[in-house]
Amino acid sequence: MPPSSSNFDPEIFENLKLELRRGCLTLAVLTQLREERYGYTLRKALADEGLEIDEGTLYPLLRRLESQGLLVSQWREEDKRNKRFYRLSPQGKHTLNQLLAEWERINRSLTKILQEA
Amino acid sequence: MSKPANAVELIDRYLQGVRFWLPKGRPQEDLLSELGEDLHSQIEARESELGRRLEMNEVSEILKRCGPPMVVAARFAPKSYLIGPGIFPIYRFVLKMVLLWILIPVFVFIVAPVNLANSGGHWGTAWVHAMQGIWSGAFFAAAVITLVFAILERTQMHNAAACKWDPLKLPPVQKTERKPSLAQTVSELAFNWFGLIWLLLLPRYPELIFGPAHRFLTFGTIWRTFYVPIILITIVALLRCAITLARPQWSWFPSTAQFVQTALGMILVHFLLQAALHSPAGLPYTFVALSDGVQHTAQNVKVAALINVCGLIGLAGAWLGLSIAVPINLWQLMQSYRKRKVAAQHSPSLQAQ
Repeated sequence: MPPSSSNFDPEIFENLKLELRRGCLTLAVLTQLREERYGYTLRKALADEGLEIDEGTLYPLLRRLESQGLLVSQWREEDKRNKRFYRLSPQGKHTLNQLLAEWERINRSLTKILQEA
Repeated sequence: MSKPANAVELIDRYLQGVRFWLPKGRPQEDLLSELGEDLHSQIEARESELGRRLEMNEVSEILKRCGPPMVVAARFAPKSYLIGPGIFPIYRFVLKMVLLWILIPVFVFIVAPVNLANSGGHWGTAWVHAMQGIWSGAFFAAAVITLVFAILERTQMHNAAACKWDPLKLPPVQKTERKPSLAQTVSELAFNWFGLIWLLLLPRYPELIFGPAHRFLTFGTIWRTFYVPIILITIVALLRCAITLARPQWSWFPSTAQFVQTALGMILVHFLLQAALHSPAGLPYTFVALSDGVQHTAQNVKVAALINVCGLIGLAGAWLGLSIAVPINLWQLMQSYRKRKVAAQHSPSLQAQ
């Protein structure tokens, strides 16, 4: 028997939302880093576009993407403070293009599925 | 504890808390610098928005939103496992096998009885020693198994094993309910039927069990109490086989009836053993005795004593066997119940398998 709306479990919803967001955030971060940014401005840029991301999610993600060779970073002084600036590496640019193509394909399929439903 | 003098000190205290939980090394400093920079940027942005310096409680709100130092460090630190998800199911399986199916049976059926037998009447002390032994044994076994799997995880040896995995070597699909075969049930039915007839004939024709020795041997008094329960258990076994044959669609019946029969058997053997060990006449003449009017020659007494000792050993063996069979049957019953429940919840295609 399908669960009724009264059986809605916020925890399950939150977990599914997190799963849904995870891949999208990676794509959004890579896209934003086509131009050089440091952590806080990147977070702000994403939040301005409606994608809020906390420090505990962003910095480990940046570190992972850098260790995968998709980003390069550099410590530099700006406004009398040391900041770590990130941008896409050549490998990151290539991967981003492929990911965007994949995203377009998924989006088209999903739109079609949702229209049929 | 002194309160921080300003926002910078509060952030430094916060970063110190995060540093404590982060793995040591250069990445730690990088992470802290980056987190510190982010927090300062947040404060600056908020201050320029409000056009004034932030109060201490406002800075504290920013840190609160960021999360407790331990949680933040856990998010920042690289993910590491003592036993990773790749081998965790095997670890859990081995742990369960060793603790539930080896360690506990060994203690219950060997160590505890030996302790009780050697206790010299101090049963309480023997029981406490047995319990201490089972706990220390369980902790030691769990620690060794965890250590072995932690080493496997560290050396990534399971990845090599995973590469050698061959789908063609997978075991055949198990049916949701393993029913006893027709031949097995028919054989059991025939065996129980002849067994019942044999038991019913014994009081009238003792030569069916004693052979030529029936001239000087007779049944011990213990059978006056236990003969009827033995007949009843044989009838239960007979009925179990007959119902299994007549109602094959009752998938719940074989495992349930087998458990009931084994449990009844164990109870009967337990009381039989108790009665034999506490026989007022003494051990040698529990199961068989010399017939009235028969000469108590040394040879006759020796034969009777030998049969009684063999009977006692056989009974103890039966008790041990049934003690193992009862939990196994109970486990099978629970498994069978669980499988039926799962099958009922699954799609018809799975049930049809």
